[in-house]
Amino acid sequence: MSVIEVTGLTKKFGSLVAVDHLDFEVWRGEVFGLLGPNGAGKTTTIRMLACLISPSEGSARVNGQDIVEEPLKVRETVGILTENPCLYERLTAYENLDFFAEAYGVTDPLEKRERIRELFDFFGLWERRNEKVASFSRGMKQKLAIARALVHRPPILFLDEPTAGLDPESSKEIRDLIERLSRKEKCTILLCTHRLEDAEKLANRVMIINKGRNIATGSPEQLSERITGQPVVEVKLVKLNRKVLNAVKNLSQALKVESFKDKILITVENPKSATPEIVKGIVYAGGEILTVKTLRPSLEEAYLKLVKGESS
Amino acid sequence: MRLKKVMLVFRKDWLEISRNWQVILPIVILPFIFSVLLPILVSMVPGSTGTSPENLEEITRNLPSQVKNKLVGMTNQQIMFYITTLYLFAPFFIIIPIMAPSAIASDSFAGEKERRTIEALLATPISDTEMFLGKTLVSFIPTMTVTIASFITYSAIVNLYSTTMFKWKPLLPNLTWLTMIFLLSPTVALASIGLTVMVSAKVKGVREAQQISAVLLIPIIILVIIQASGAVFIGPSMITALTGIFAAIDFLVIYLGVKMFRREEILSKLA
Repeated sequence: MSVIEVTGLTKKFGSLVAVDHLDFEVWRGEVFGLLGPNGAGKTTTIRMLACLISPSEGSARVNGQDIVEEPLKVRETVGILTENPCLYERLTAYENLDFFAEAYGVTDPLEKRERIRELFDFFGLWERRNEKVASFSRGMKQKLAIARALVHRPPILFLDEPTAGLDPESSKEIRDLIERLSRKEKCTILLCTHRLEDAEKLANRVMIINKGRNIATGSPEQLSERITGQPVVEVKLVKLNRKVLNAVKNLSQALKVESFKDKILITVENPKSATPEIVKGIVYAGGEILTVKTLRPSLEEAYLKLVKGESS
Repeated sequence: MRLKKVMLVFRKDWLEISRNWQVILPIVILPFIFSVLLPILVSMVPGSTGTSPENLEEITRNLPSQVKNKLVGMTNQQIMFYITTLYLFAPFFIIIPIMAPSAIASDSFAGEKERRTIEALLATPISDTEMFLGKTLVSFIPTMTVTIASFITYSAIVNLYSTTMFKWKPLLPNLTWLTMIFLLSPTVALASIGLTVMVSAKVKGVREAQQISAVLLIPIIILVIIQASGAVFIGPSMITALTGIFAAIDFLVIYLGVKMFRREEILSKLA
């Protein structure tokens, strides 16, 4: 069941078309990645869906509400992590969450206190709750900003570049937190990123956009395979000879076989079932195996091909 | 409109502002000068007003007869003190509700844009009216607090000196000052704050908002000059008329402020 339905969504800023007739659906409980280079229209799309800006054309429904007709209701049901943490630095971490909890309608003092405590515990910030946000590191601010987005238990969460500007360690920490979060909170996440690692690790499905247009949609695996081809099993031998090469070529699961020095590259459909057959065939033909590994086409390759193809 | 949400924006902004001395100082300094330093200066050195007996005669000539009657039997020093503290300085107390909130009102939206906190606020389900009124209120309440506090302080100091100069007869409060502080000041403050908040939502930074809103002072400064020159007497009836005019301006400003409030436009002006 889709919780976000986008039809022909377009945003123009004067003569610039930032988002160009986007159509997509996000299903309940999934992590949907909007992947694209800087200036692709990702943030503009999220801002339209969060009712911060209005579309020039097209429509969208978020949790059953029209973004143009019912902006307040849409805002009530979504949590948003904006590109910047957008936290009040003169207020403490607790004061920040307290304000946003009430702004989103969590007014019962007990419920509010428990929810804030729960989020501080989850993000490991309880000990720092009474410190002003100005003293926080970028990573801590990002955690607090995600906590703010979740304070009213929204069924839908928009995350705009959650790991931008973070060092690799903090990026990994935030990614792990989002992964745990999607399981724990069971909310639908629209993740907007230009980092392939984020999309590959977190998203169930990805939409690659460039210049405001949808280039491709699918799971990271589907996109990788569709764009860059099927997986390859690489076998390194002590010495490669014709007998071994012929044995591999005769295997039923080998779709394509290439050799380089003492290495064989075998394109297969399913590496899990093909690898034992390949190993057996090589050993029977007298080959001595040093290493076996599966080379999967990455989302990065698919992304670069798609975005470069679009640009040229 | 939900009053709770208006008060929520007010509370959050006040919490932030109360921890920012750059915003607090302008609210405190100007009223301190007007309410404490000016009456002390006038009382300590009566001749320092620079008004010659000829000028004094010119000023008193323009005063209405009921005021002139009160001056009968007073010495020059008493007349100078009486006119200066009760009439010439009165318009300064209209400057307080215009200048004191300037820093807070300019900071309302422009400050959030500069500090890049505005997007999360705009994403909340707080309506445009609630947000605009909350931001207006956070300037209005401290402004009226310092205006009334300044009036009380000023009255106390003036009365303290008048006890020796006028044999225990307190000069303040009188009807003119009461109408000015409790009728005219709130309406002037609201108009000035509403316009500044509107400007703050439209521009990119606090400085820009302050510069534009400073233009608002010009008509009031003209009023101060006119009053100081003795050309016009600002009495209770004139204050009531001005209150009516400013109340109409207030409604217009609030109406236009809410009507012209565009989340999209605010976001497009992010510095």
